[in-house]
Amino acid sequence: MKITRSGYAGIAFTLALLILLPMLANGQWVKVFTSASCFTLAAAGVAFMYSRLGMVSLGQVALMGIGGWVMLRMNHAFNFPFEVNLIIAASVTMIFGWVLALPALKMRGLYLALITLMAAGGIEVILSTYRFPNGGTGFWGVIPSVAAPFRRPMIAASDSAYLQYVIVIVALCFALIDIHRRTAPGRAWAMIRRSEAAALASGVNIVYYKAWAFGLSGLLAGIAGALLAGSIGLLDAATFRASESIMLFALAVVGGARFWLGAVIAGILYRVLPALFNDWGLDADLTLIIFGAALLHAIITAPDGISGQIIGLTSKFKRGTP
Amino acid sequence: MKVKILQLLFYALGAVLICVLLSWGKPPKIIGLFIVSGLAVGSLYALGGIGIVVLYRATGVLNFANGAVGAFGVMLAWQLAQIGWPGPLTWLVGILSATALSLAYGLLIAPKLAWRDNVVKAVATLGFALVVLGLTAFIWEDDVRRLSLPTDKQAVVIMGLRITVTRMIVVSAAIAFVLGIWLFLTHTRIGLQMRALANNRDISALIGVPIFKVETIAWSISGLIAGFTGLMFGDLIRLEPSVITFMVIPSIAAAICGRLDNLALVLIGGLFIGVIESLSTLSPLIKQVRPIAPFVIAAIALIWMQRSQKLIFSRDS
Repeated sequence: MKITRSGYAGIAFTLALLILLPMLANGQWVKVFTSASCFTLAAAGVAFMYSRLGMVSLGQVALMGIGGWVMLRMNHAFNFPFEVNLIIAASVTMIFGWVLALPALKMRGLYLALITLMAAGGIEVILSTYRFPNGGTGFWGVIPSVAAPFRRPMIAASDSAYLQYVIVIVALCFALIDIHRRTAPGRAWAMIRRSEAAALASGVNIVYYKAWAFGLSGLLAGIAGALLAGSIGLLDAATFRASESIMLFALAVVGGARFWLGAVIAGILYRVLPALFNDWGLDADLTLIIFGAALLHAIITAPDGISGQIIGLTSKFKRGTP
Repeated sequence: MKVKILQLLFYALGAVLICVLLSWGKPPKIIGLFIVSGLAVGSLYALGGIGIVVLYRATGVLNFANGAVGAFGVMLAWQLAQIGWPGPLTWLVGILSATALSLAYGLLIAPKLAWRDNVVKAVATLGFALVVLGLTAFIWEDDVRRLSLPTDKQAVVIMGLRITVTRMIVVSAAIAFVLGIWLFLTHTRIGLQMRALANNRDISALIGVPIFKVETIAWSISGLIAGFTGLMFGDLIRLEPSVITFMVIPSIAAAICGRLDNLALVLIGGLFIGVIESLSTLSPLIKQVRPIAPFVIAAIALIWMQRSQKLIFSRDS
């Protein structure tokens, strides 16, 4: 498969991050960037659903919560290595994505968005009631006092090594999305997006490919949630509220759903900007105003978001008409 | 028509059965207490849902900012009461400010998106919700606040149960809004035009329905309801901007029960959700997860409604 210009840019960007971030960031910032990378991955999931199929999913962060829950549960129950737990967490979340797809397959547009929102609301209640396992006994595994240790991957025990580990996995997942885009599923999605009737007429199995998209998006959310669990070794139910799912979707649109850069921008806006505001002593509520205004701006005037504008700018520059 | 009524009776029977199951073996006084508080909360969900559905029918905009403008209104009312304004004036200003915010969006931003997909319009209101919430939370930092209406202290006793007047007001307001809007839609010219828009936007525009005027009225009605709901929510449940803003999610659950179309069903759905959520407190098994009621009920309603149809919602083309 040929690597496109955008692909080379992505590889260069990943390498730059791998080398620069652990050098420049310290202490708290390493954790901020790790979490931003995880949310970048989740944003990539909603972004591809939105840009390739025109489906709005307002339940991505809730699915991340499921991935994180399974990760912590596996970590405290068995002695498997990190990677095995990661795969199990991702698979379980993918199955949840499919279950979510079942009632959603008959729906389109707004109604699909609403049913994912209802699912997110339900998951929020479950997670905040039973909370995340931290080494206690029983199925829910919650102890009120100190948490049991979390095993990070063998090759990435320190904070900065873990950040690099996360960046590599996120980059691999971006490659996975792009492979999908260029092969049979991507063509089927493009057709479904244009017209379901036409897709049906030309022999595309709509149910199968739609469920596939939900599964892929769930898989990405599961990996993102599991990786997030590894950042501190604990998760808090407040991270996975339904409102956060709404916010992540909004930011994926602001970043620009069509390009990988858009998901990166969404992750940065979601996690790094509030941390910066906190650092500067500004009220974090101001970020909400910025997000909201940016979302309105993106929807009304810039359908490809910030990344679309950046890419438009660079291609103009190349043609010599700045 | 006969089948429809039979079906409705069937739903009602099921609802009553669930309530009986949940409250089995508890003293009637306690059950009554929980039902009353459930009806009050349910009316708030229903009111939110009614505001959303009225606007959605007329303009095709599912307004995620419904809760946010209500939150702004109630916070403003609280602030004015703090600096000594008389009560009724603060409530009026609160409700009107919510209406004004809603109208401002409807007049300034919504027209730019008039011909886009419904889902795009809904996402845009999300942006507005974030701006309003950010602003509200920025002005009124996190703090423990209370808003109490004088009607909280007055109560009537019905069948041995003490019910505060505020609760009576929300329940009757929800019913009154449904009746009022139904009369408005069936008996006035604007109502007729609103129904025309709900049916088919393009053809309504072609035959000369004044879309801008009708939409402006729809935005004001829904803003008014949002302001009133926010005020009541701040009094009955919690006075916190983010909580009131995201009350829009269970409100949407109530709206789904009415297929985003039928106001009476939205009211019944909202009340039912409230009562079930409240009665769940009595069952040790599901007590902890009772806030899940709106989502479970909305999901069941969705799955039940789609059993024989290809597309669930009448306007989903």
